[in-house]
Amino acid sequence: MGLPTSHLTTPSPQLPPAREAEASRRTAARRLNESSALLALSVLTDTSIEHDRGMFFNRAMVLPIIASALTLGTSLHGAHDPTPSAHRLRHAVAAAAAATGLIGGGFHAYNVTKREGGLSWHNLFYGAPLGAPFALILAGTMAVAAEHVRDARDGRISLFGQPAGPTLAALTAAGLAGTIAEAALLHFRGAFQDRFMYLPVTIPPIAAGLIAKAALERTPRWPRLTRLWLRLTAALGFAGAGFHVYGVSRNMGGWRNWSQNLLAGPPIPAPHSFTALALAGLAVLELLGTSRHD
Amino acid sequence: MPDIVPPAPRGKDGRAPDVLRPGGWVPMRQYRDSDEVDFAIVGTGAGGGTLAARLAEAGFSVVGFDAGPWFRPLEEFASDELEQTKLYWTDNRIVAGENPIELGHNNSGKAVGGSTVHFAMVALRFRPEWFKARTKLGYGADWPVSWQEMWRYYDEVEDALKIAGPVRFPWGPPRRRYPYRPHEVNAAGLVLARGAEKLGIKWCPTPLATVSAPRDLSPPCVYRGFCVIGCSTNAKQSALVVWIPRALAAGAEIRDLAMVGRIELGPNGLVTGLYYHREGEWRFQRAKNVVVAGYAIETPRLLLNSACPQFPGGLANSNGLVGKYFMVQSNDAVWGRMDEEIRWYKGPPSLALTEHWNYTDAGKDFFGGYAYMSQGPLPIEFARTIAGARGLWGQGLRDAMSNYIHMAGLKICGEVLPREDNRVELADDTDEYGLRIARIVFGYCDNDNRLRRHAVRFMRDALAAAGARDIWESESTAHLNGSCRMGEDPASSVVNADGRSWDIPNLWVCDGSLFPTVGGVNPSLTIQALACRTADRIKAMAARGELQRPAARPVRQHTAPRMNPVA
Amino acid sequence: MTEQNRFSGYSTLAKRDTPSWNAQTRAVVDKRLNDPPPRCFFTEDEWALLVAICARIIPQPTQRDRNVPIASFIDQKMAENNSDGFQHAGLPGMQQEWRRGLSAIDTEARLRFGAAFVDLPAGRQDEVLHMVQQADVRAPAWADLPAQQFFKGRLLIDIVTMYYAHPQAWDEIGFGGPASPRGYVRMGFDRYDPWEAVEHA
Repeated sequence: MGLPTSHLTTPSPQLPPAREAEASRRTAARRLNESSALLALSVLTDTSIEHDRGMFFNRAMVLPIIASALTLGTSLHGAHDPTPSAHRLRHAVAAAAAATGLIGGGFHAYNVTKREGGLSWHNLFYGAPLGAPFALILAGTMAVAAEHVRDARDGRISLFGQPAGPTLAALTAAGLAGTIAEAALLHFRGAFQDRFMYLPVTIPPIAAGLIAKAALERTPRWPRLTRLWLRLTAALGFAGAGFHVYGVSRNMGGWRNWSQNLLAGPPIPAPHSFTALALAGLAVLELLGTSRHD
Repeated sequence: MPDIVPPAPRGKDGRAPDVLRPGGWVPMRQYRDSDEVDFAIVGTGAGGGTLAARLAEAGFSVVGFDAGPWFRPLEEFASDELEQTKLYWTDNRIVAGENPIELGHNNSGKAVGGSTVHFAMVALRFRPEWFKARTKLGYGADWPVSWQEMWRYYDEVEDALKIAGPVRFPWGPPRRRYPYRPHEVNAAGLVLARGAEKLGIKWCPTPLATVSAPRDLSPPCVYRGFCVIGCSTNAKQSALVVWIPRALAAGAEIRDLAMVGRIELGPNGLVTGLYYHREGEWRFQRAKNVVVAGYAIETPRLLLNSACPQFPGGLANSNGLVGKYFMVQSNDAVWGRMDEEIRWYKGPPSLALTEHWNYTDAGKDFFGGYAYMSQGPLPIEFARTIAGARGLWGQGLRDAMSNYIHMAGLKICGEVLPREDNRVELADDTDEYGLRIARIVFGYCDNDNRLRRHAVRFMRDALAAAGARDIWESESTAHLNGSCRMGEDPASSVVNADGRSWDIPNLWVCDGSLFPTVGGVNPSLTIQALACRTADRIKAMAARGELQRPAARPVRQHTAPRMNPVA
Repeated sequence: MTEQNRFSGYSTLAKRDTPSWNAQTRAVVDKRLNDPPPRCFFTEDEWALLVAICARIIPQPTQRDRNVPIASFIDQKMAENNSDGFQHAGLPGMQQEWRRGLSAIDTEARLRFGAAFVDLPAGRQDEVLHMVQQADVRAPAWADLPAQQFFKGRLLIDIVTMYYAHPQAWDEIGFGGPASPRGYVRMGFDRYDPWEAVEHA
């Protein structure tokens, strides 16, 4: 017996419940594609700069650039695609992107541990970032989820064998946790020299907590609060990029010295991951409002 | 040769340069020569600059004097080794002894900010036992301060300079985390790391006085690698950028291009002020206290040159120890060619180090310790190293230099024992002011040489283990210390634990001359810590009335001072 | 010469108008390149001898259109008395050191090979210089100017310094050159920024 859902969806008494559910699903799928697109864009710009910094010393370093570019393309396509069924090519690209991220994570972990000092603070600060491939995995996974959500026939959406809503909530929470950890590590590296650097380790954790709670409860008990924190987190992503632009300008030579400071300075595309994950979180809220529970 | 040098004093007309803003100025309080200021400080480096700031912040009236110019790093520091020789004390000095030392760019600065303007920013604490070297380790002399006390001051200085250091420092007792995170270790430093790991000893990123993240108006280090010839980024936290601005903000006056020639002693056995040469003439500044902080050559030189009938051997020199027990640190190095490109010119010269042999006592046939660090000499410096160590010239030199981007090096900061024979004294030659110049007599002892041999052997192994080939050695020295040492016994020291001279209660020393032993780490952090301690002690003594002149004898009015102390 | 090709195509001067150079660096290097100081301190004969010695200590390839005028800068240093800040006890100051050292080298050349240093073939000139470096000398002038100390501490140091103060020398060793405001990003093994020298195998 489903729980009353009217308080979760935008009241539109004219639409029959089935159509409400479908509209909700389409919104969720679109949000997931947007999330994936934004994550893919963040990965694309960030990886291009970072792998250029690494001089593409390993030719495989072009793969995440290709994967994220393709995912960006297919997710944008998906976001504007009203067809209520999965798209095989989009699905394949997304899955491949997630796999690329996983492999990249392996490369990065190897890079960090094989350096002098092994797993040390210094290598966490300056070695290949462990969080970056994770963002690609998330981009791919969100896009895969978008296809599954889009494809649901009888109102029951599942993901990896589990009900989609809670699974995605868990994934989003994990994604936020990983992004928070990455921001915390790099802001720690920057000695939190500017007070605003505390924002990504204070606001998003609350959003992550609320979404994780939603995953466990299967129905968000505080939907308005959760939505608020997700929106705050989404806004923080944009603000963060703005702060990072300021941060780049604070380096020696400012923007005139862009050839050094774009690479050295705080990464401008990185904070957008928060926006992307917040979008995924909002998608989750849609799903949790319409999914049936076993 | 240098083209861009301030032609005239900048600290005047009620303002001083704000070196953190191009063309900027800050207001500066000024005193008249006839004002009897609380403290006249000679030298504005790690000792004098720090003390000026802390004393001014404690409410004392302070005038700091520096023989050197007030540089504006942003506009005046060029990326050029020859031009930047303007930072050094290149006035003549005589070197003698078994191992005459190299001066000038090697260890002597001449600028507001002193040698911290050109130092390599390595910021290390003394091993605690070194403060009781004689009692605990059986050599040298004990310091009259405890390590626990110094630990507090190390905390303060590290925070004041926002030292960028490793999250966990592998040696010594537990300590506060460094305020900023370590810099990225360059390939030259990773060579040290490889060698250390192969030999089974610890290493870490070097704690450095240059910021790894923005700090107010200091941008983070850009890894340009010209550190020891002047930081034009202003990431380097020298006294010029840290303590001098604090001193100015607290009401101190700094007089640049002001060579102090003589300290005057009054009839009641207290100093009354000092003579300084500025803008073409000698002037006399009255002061209640004089602090000499000219580093370990100019400080004893000034005291010796201030000899007077009451102190014919030099001020504060009744026991003859001014200038004695002079120490440097051995700077022996090994160099080798790597297969990989190292390009050591990127980043501060010493981004990685090991203090293994400072904290390990077994396996040594010598007293004392050494740290060793990775290297990154610029072209002229490296060419001189090759020429000096290997005697190469002609095509041989060109060929050796052609490996420049593949070279790696390890260099020690090695402890040297304090010996009375090693000394700073006056030569007969005089300088442009008619003041007798310093003669520095130095020789290594057997212990010093055993340490150097041990270090070179170990570093050779480490460098080879890291994969270097065609390894060769060089020798040199670094830093200047010990020539007005502190102690608990007036018979064997020049000043007490507070830097106050035994002979003259209002004459103080505050720089590297104070060190009874030199340890195996760069001295700048310890000098600054001592300066902070001295300031606190002065504050406490002032509160108890211990700084005032003794009322025992009536003070005879001092007649107009001679305006040329050298006539 | 091999070093000519090792970093061929690389020029630190080419970065003059990039963020790697600042105004003060341009001013200083421009002056060094465009305005080599005229002979002021050494006599004509001393000068000719110094030039000949510089050519042996740092042989410069003839195919370069602009060779580094090492002697000019040593002359300037002496003329301005730009001391290094220390003098060995018992040795004269650097001005006298150079004068007496040059004279002693010439005397040595005449003693050993019967001709002025400037008139000897390159091989013989090198031999004379090696003799001085190893203190295997016969000229009486060396009695109060220790040959080894003069060679190692004055002659070699000054010549080498003036050569490696020039952009041409920086280029041939692949040095990054001036670096302010722009420094470097890539610091690891075998990594370099696009504005650094590329080493050809």
